[in-house]
Amino acid sequence: MANPKELDKRRKSIRNMRRITRTMELIATARFKKAMDRASAATAYTDRITQLVSDLTKSGLEVSHPLLEPREETKSAKLLVLTGNRGFCAGYNGNMIRAGLKRWGELTDEIPRCSAEVSGKKGISGFAFGNVELDEEFTQFEDKPSYDEVEVIANRYLDAYATGEIDRLDVVYTRFESISRQTATVETLLPLGSLVEATDESADESSSDTIYEFVPSPESILEEVVPTSFKVKLFKCFLDAAVSEQIARMVAMKGATENAGELIKDLSMKYNRARQGRITSELMDLIGGVEALK
Amino acid sequence: MSETTSTDVLRCVVVTPEETVLETEADFVALPLFDGELGVAKHHSPMIGRLGYGELRIRQGAETTRHYVEGGFVQVTDNVVSVLTNRAIKADSIDTTAAQQQLDSALGQTAAGDEQLAIRDRTVAQSRAQLRAARQSK
Repeated sequence: MANPKELDKRRKSIRNMRRITRTMELIATARFKKAMDRASAATAYTDRITQLVSDLTKSGLEVSHPLLEPREETKSAKLLVLTGNRGFCAGYNGNMIRAGLKRWGELTDEIPRCSAEVSGKKGISGFAFGNVELDEEFTQFEDKPSYDEVEVIANRYLDAYATGEIDRLDVVYTRFESISRQTATVETLLPLGSLVEATDESADESSSDTIYEFVPSPESILEEVVPTSFKVKLFKCFLDAAVSEQIARMVAMKGATENAGELIKDLSMKYNRARQGRITSELMDLIGGVEALK
Repeated sequence: MSETTSTDVLRCVVVTPEETVLETEADFVALPLFDGELGVAKHHSPMIGRLGYGELRIRQGAETTRHYVEGGFVQVTDNVVSVLTNRAIKADSIDTTAAQQQLDSALGQTAAGDEQLAIRDRTVAQSRAQLRAARQSK
């Protein structure tokens, strides 16, 4: 029979663990709510940009911009992987690293010059383990990525793309679809492809045939809209990643708390049984002694 | 935006990529376009414009609120003025010392090549516009 004292000790330590995981769950929930609010606040901007682009295209303007068109020959590519700085979030970081390394393999097979950048401590160590040298590492992004910080990175990419330093930019991040669904996504952000695909859905609802006056000219506005929409897209990736990380942590910690509860139940039962067993055997000893004295 | 077509009030919405900074009714809105100021009152014809760095004034009754905006676009349609900008700061909370410092360091910097020149000019324009907006709010 197991030692009741030992069992009690284990039970106590698991209780402590449960307390910790529950706190972490609560923290993750609070952070998730905040991150979620930020993400939904950001959609106001995206919606309006989309609206603006669709109005712009309706004016009969030929949408062409160097950022939109793929290069004839892709000589160098960049990969950006967004992971978390912390663990305790189930498969979140692992999925990102796996997806990132997979895409990295594909890129290096096809394209002569490739470079990688990773955000998040977990991703950095994951890529070091996969023997991939990183150009840049970011650890400043937590649950609240700010636009100013992301813009700096976005501008660097835009400059590199304009000067021909990179011909393609892929971003690996966890896309937030709903609270119960986040998927690892690999997206090519540069070249942007088309601006129009995003406008398809809104085209019907805003069927107003307003004729706009453009100041100074549609071309000039387009010139500014395209880089802006790239920045916003990149920012959205960061926001999505932040929200998804908090959700993953929340779910993982919830599971851990539940598991700890079950373990405690199991151990309590074992402990009680062991204690009862010990009492019974002591009683047996006593009765045996009394019997012997007769 | 169909719900606003029938109303006779001018609304002004300022959004940045991070949040909706302001959503208010207004009598008159003055926007800093890239080459000068533009005033928008009720029933302005639809337009899309490119913003520069400068001061956004929203007058409502006797009250005028001032914001510093940094680039972006404006879309005017159906009595709604949507301002899409990278940054919008309330004019009275602008950090003037930081802006002055930024201006000084930008002016003292030697720029080589077109790109660096453009960056320097941009910083100078930004900090000057911030200072101007802050001064006018006093």
